[in-house]
Formats: sequence, structure tokens, C-alpha cells
Amino acid sequence: MLRCLNSSENFAGTCSEMTVLERQRERMKWQQQQQQQQHHHQPNQSYFCGGGFDGAFSSLQVPNSQGLRMMMMMNGAGAGTGDGSGLGEVVANANVNVNVGSLKPDPGSENGWPELSKFELPNLGFVSSGFDANSTISRTSSCPPSVAPATGLADAKGKESVVAENENTNKKNKASGEEEESKITTNNNNNNNINNRETSADSSKENSKASEVQKPDYIHVRARRGQATDSHSLAERVRREKISERMKYLQDLVPGCNKITGKAGMLDEIINYVQSLQRQVEFLSMKLAAVNPRIDFNIDDLFTKEVFPTCAPTSFPTIEMTPNPAYLQFDSAQHAASCCGLDMGLNPPDMGLRRTISAPVSMPPETFLDTSCFTQILPFSTCEADLQNLYNVAFDQARSTTSYPSQPFTERQTFCVSNTKYCDLVPRRSLQAGLNKRRKQKAREEVARDASIWNAFSLQETPDFGFVFIEIIAGIKKSYFNLVRICSKF
Amino acid sequence: MASSLISNTTTSTDRSRDPSRRKKKKKAQLKHQQEDQNHIKWKSQAQQQIYSSKLHQALARVNLTSSSSSSSTSTSAPRRGKAVREAADRVLAVTAKGRSRWSRAILTNRLKLKFRKHKRQRVSAAGASAARSKKPRVSVLRLKGKNLPAVQRKVRFLGRLVPGCRKQPVPVILEEAIDYISALEMQVRAMTALADLLSGSAASGVASTSSAPPS
Repeated sequence: MLRCLNSSENFAGTCSEMTVLERQRERMKWQQQQQQQQHHHQPNQSYFCGGGFDGAFSSLQVPNSQGLRMMMMMNGAGAGTGDGSGLGEVVANANVNVNVGSLKPDPGSENGWPELSKFELPNLGFVSSGFDANSTISRTSSCPPSVAPATGLADAKGKESVVAENENTNKKNKASGEEEESKITTNNNNNNNINNRETSADSSKENSKASEVQKPDYIHVRARRGQATDSHSLAERVRREKISERMKYLQDLVPGCNKITGKAGMLDEIINYVQSLQRQVEFLSMKLAAVNPRIDFNIDDLFTKEVFPTCAPTSFPTIEMTPNPAYLQFDSAQHAASCCGLDMGLNPPDMGLRRTISAPVSMPPETFLDTSCFTQILPFSTCEADLQNLYNVAFDQARSTTSYPSQPFTERQTFCVSNTKYCDLVPRRSLQAGLNKRRKQKAREEVARDASIWNAFSLQETPDFGFVFIEIIAGIKKSYFNLVRICSKF
Repeated sequence: MASSLISNTTTSTDRSRDPSRRKKKKKAQLKHQQEDQNHIKWKSQAQQQIYSSKLHQALARVNLTSSSSSSSTSTSAPRRGKAVREAADRVLAVTAKGRSRWSRAILTNRLKLKFRKHKRQRVSAAGASAARSKKPRVSVLRLKGKNLPAVQRKVRFLGRLVPGCRKQPVPVILEEAIDYISALEMQVRAMTALADLLSGSAASGVASTSSAPPS
């Protein structure tokens, strides 16, 4: 109401030109009211807008014909662009307001107003941001903020700088709500968009980064120029990059994949290669199985020939294998265990171990014998499902192995010492096993069974510890091989 | 080459301002490098030696098993071959130190099978070997209902080839495949060397041992 009075007063002072400030103020108020009108859709405010227009129009009345022509042209331009509908709304509203009957404007001015209102309402929007006359009229007109970035998108197809900045301005606008300056800031931002479109590469990246920061998954991917910045596509791009990186590595690994391009072909090659490798392993295992029984581990010979010239296996009655000393002890120990039951278990490993001690020292046979000891010891423990014993055994073994480097010349003694520990374990178990025939058989089967990873598979009852134990045993075996290397230097 | 790729992708993200994210990125980078080192480890001679010695021990036990548990006539070649193959796979899994999914799957499979009866073991072994030898056509027919893209189908098939990767997502399958392929290559090298050694020394060994009486 007050505004109408003011406008009427202004008009009353007709032809006295309003100051630029007053004009601008009127425009701002009008725009704000337009905004409010768009948001709230209340006819009352539009009335005020109509009132607001009055004050502004007074100034524009001066250059009549020319102004009208200009306005008509601009209006036409405005209508031609996509926002004509929006302007049409404004115009219709303004017309309605004016026609419904404003209280205050002078009757004298009413004649001129309706005509002008048609043309000048949109023009105010144009004039206020007139310095962006080229293609931005639509964008900077009295559109609500939601329309502005839409047009921005239409203009800058896929150029993320504008999109990102519009998104940011969107957010800013929504945050600021319906403040007076929001409209101007959008205009300014849009103007800045236009000005800095080509030079905003870094800022666009920053904006895309800023928008990424709001994502919950914190995968930092630089959104490249010309690519979408929404979280889905970014995550998709990260996933694709991971996959392609691994495919490249596979391409290096698999021979003959260099010539093939395309994931499908490469995958075919990879599948064929894996299948061929597995077939090769099967073939080789058959070959080894065929070769084995005849030869019986001549590798032992190769390993220990220089070290084991004198190990008389004469004490062992059952000698089926070739007179390979180390292996005989190994073998006969196993045989003794299997044939004679576990009461004998004590003697063969003990004797075997002592024999190894008597001979010049070498680790590999001892390792074999250790494992043979353990295969005998462990079945007992598995029968009892006593994990702690296993750990003790393992740690004993570790202790024994670690003690070697410190006392190279007293290895015999240490080994004897450690051996006694094992032997202590054995009789206990053997007694218990001896009591129960079933257990004997079970233990025999355990011994005879293919337990290549005795440390892993003895833990059948408690698979939870499996991998921890594997790690421990792996470490122990590592130490074994280190000692092999050390002892080989002697 | 892959490591350079990885370092590129990670260095581009290192400019993040958040220090916690930077730490995460560093950890991921380290993990990538470690994984690369793991893949490279399979090519080293030391690994091959470790594997060979372990395999040797395993084969010794296999031999004893087959000879002691049953008479020599009853043990057929394929059964022994399978036993050797399984032993070899297990030794490979142990050499991997349980760091990769396929190695853990191999080891746990053995545990699971030992819990159940041996019959089931044979059935599963036969089925697994049959599935391995089949061509991708089977998977295509089965998955046509799903209408997956060709790449997806093939990656799923690769997942079935690699032990323990049946229900894993695509990048995990590819990762496991990388490690598995390098491990298989090492296994083949070690087994060929072992077989050559044994077969080569078979004739000479027999001769030498027969000539040299134990003293």
C-alpha cells in the first residue's frame, strides 16, 4: 500500500525524473516481488508489483516512441527465447493486476499503463541486466532461480564449469532464500559464467571437487572436462578405471595378449591360458606320480650326497627303498611307525636323529626328519585335539632352529636337547595310543595320509587357527631355509 | 608398468586437502605396491626353490601314503596323479602364505573335505575338474537367461576357474586371477624342473646306488 502511495506521489511529481537509485530500487522491489509471486503465487503481491511498475514506468515514459519500439523489440526477443512463457506469466499477471484495478494510480495514467505494461514489464527485466544483451536475456530475466541454471545448462551443454557454478549458485540461492541480493547474485554469477567460461578450468575442477566433497564415499577422482560430475558417474568411472588397470596388468602377464584389443578377446585369452596352465599342472603331476615310485627321491641324493656318505641303515629291518641314507631313515621311520605301531615310534626317530647328529651336519635331511617326527607326533595330538601341544611343538621347533646359528658347533647337543623334548612328547602319546587299538589305527592312517601341509591340516578341528598357524609355520620354515643357506657355507 | 599406472592414479588424488584422506590414499598406495610385489614374488627364484622343496616333502608323503595305505597294485595311476596334483596345489597355497583368496580357498577346501567323507571329495574333485575342462559355451547357455554382457560372462567363468572366486565381484576376480596366473606359472616351472630332475636322475641314480654299497 505504501508503495503504491509512493509511486503515486512519484507520478504526481510527473515528469520529474526519478533518480537512478530510486528507479533501481523500484526495479529490485519489483523483481523481488516477482520472485515472491513465482514462489507463492499470491495475487496480492502481484498487485504490489503492478504498483511497483508504476513508479518505474514513469521514467520510461519519456522516450515514448523510441522506447516503445525498443521495448517491443526486446519483448519480441524475450518472447522468442525460451523464457517467453515465464515472461508471459509475468505480463499476464501484471495485466491482471493492473486491470483488476489498482487503487492508487491516477486515472490519467491508466490509459497509458496497460499498453505499456504489456511491453515494459518484461523489459524491465531486460534493462536491469541489459548489459548481457546477447544470449543471456533469457537467463537473466525475471526467472526464478530454478529456471536460470536450466537455461545455463541449455547454453553450456556439458561444460561443467557452468553447470557446477550454476549448481553452486542454486545452492546459494536456496540457502539465501528470498533475499534481495539473491537475484542480483544470480545475475552476477551468470554474468561471470559467461565471462569466465573458457578460463575457469581450475575453478571448475575446484567446483567439481567441492561437489565431490559432499559425497559420502571419499573417493577422490578428478572429473575431467566434458564429463559429468554427478556421484554415480564418478563412482562408475573409478570402477572402470580399476578394472581397466587390472586388465592391463593381465595383458602383460599373459603371453600373446598384446595384439588383442578389447576386453572380451583378452578375457578369452586369459581363460585359455589359465586352463592350459592347469592342464599342464595335471600332466606334470601325473608324470611325477609315474616317476616317483621307481626313483624314490634321488633328489635326496642330490641334496645330501656330499653330506651323508655314512649312514648305515642296517639297524632297520624293513628296507624296501634304495639305500639312500637320509631317505631311508625317513622312510623307515615312517614304516616303523606304520607297521610296528606307535610304541616303536620312539626309537626310529630317536635313532634316526642321533644318526644324523653323528654325521656331518646338514639341514635338509634334518628338516625331513623333523617333519617325520612331527608327522608322528602330530597324529597323536590331533587325536587329542590339543592345540596347545601343537603350539609347543612348533615353538620347540622354532627354538631348536633358532638356536642353531648361535651354536653352530654344538648343534648336536642342541638337537639332542630339542630331540629330548620331542621324545618326551612321543612316549606320552604312544602310551595313550597304545592303550586304544582304534586310536592306533587312526594314528597310523594319519601318519600315512597325505598331509603335505601337516601344520595346516592337523588343525582340522579348529580351522580358526589355521591361517595364524600357517603363518607361524611358514615363518619357521623360512628360518629353516635361512639356516640351510647358513650351514651350506660351512 | 602397472605400478606406474597405480602411482599415477594415486598421485592425482594425493592433492586432497583432508589429511585423513591423504593417509587413506597412502595406505591404498602401499597396499597396491605390496600387491604388485606379491605378484612379482612368484617370479623370483627363491620362491621357486621354496616351493620345490616343499613339494618334494609333500611328494614323499604322498608316496608313502599310497604305498602304505594300499597295496601297490591297487593304487592306480590316475588316483596317484590326482593325489600328487592336490598335494602340489596345497603346497602352492601354503607358499602363498594365505595372502590371496585362492590360496585360502584351496586350504579350506581341503579342511572341509576332510570333515566330510572321502566320497564327497572324489565327487567334488571330479566335478571341479570337469567344470574346468568345459568350454565357456556352458556358461553362456546357463547365463543367457540373465543376458549378461559378454565381458561379465567371461569374468564369471574366470572366477570359476580360479579357486575361491565364484561369488566375487569383477575387480576381485581380476586381482585374484593375476596372482593365480603367476603362481601357476611358478608351479609349472618348479614341477617341470622336479620331474626332469627325477626322471633324469632315475637312471643314473639307480646305477649309482646299486654300485655304491651303503657304508
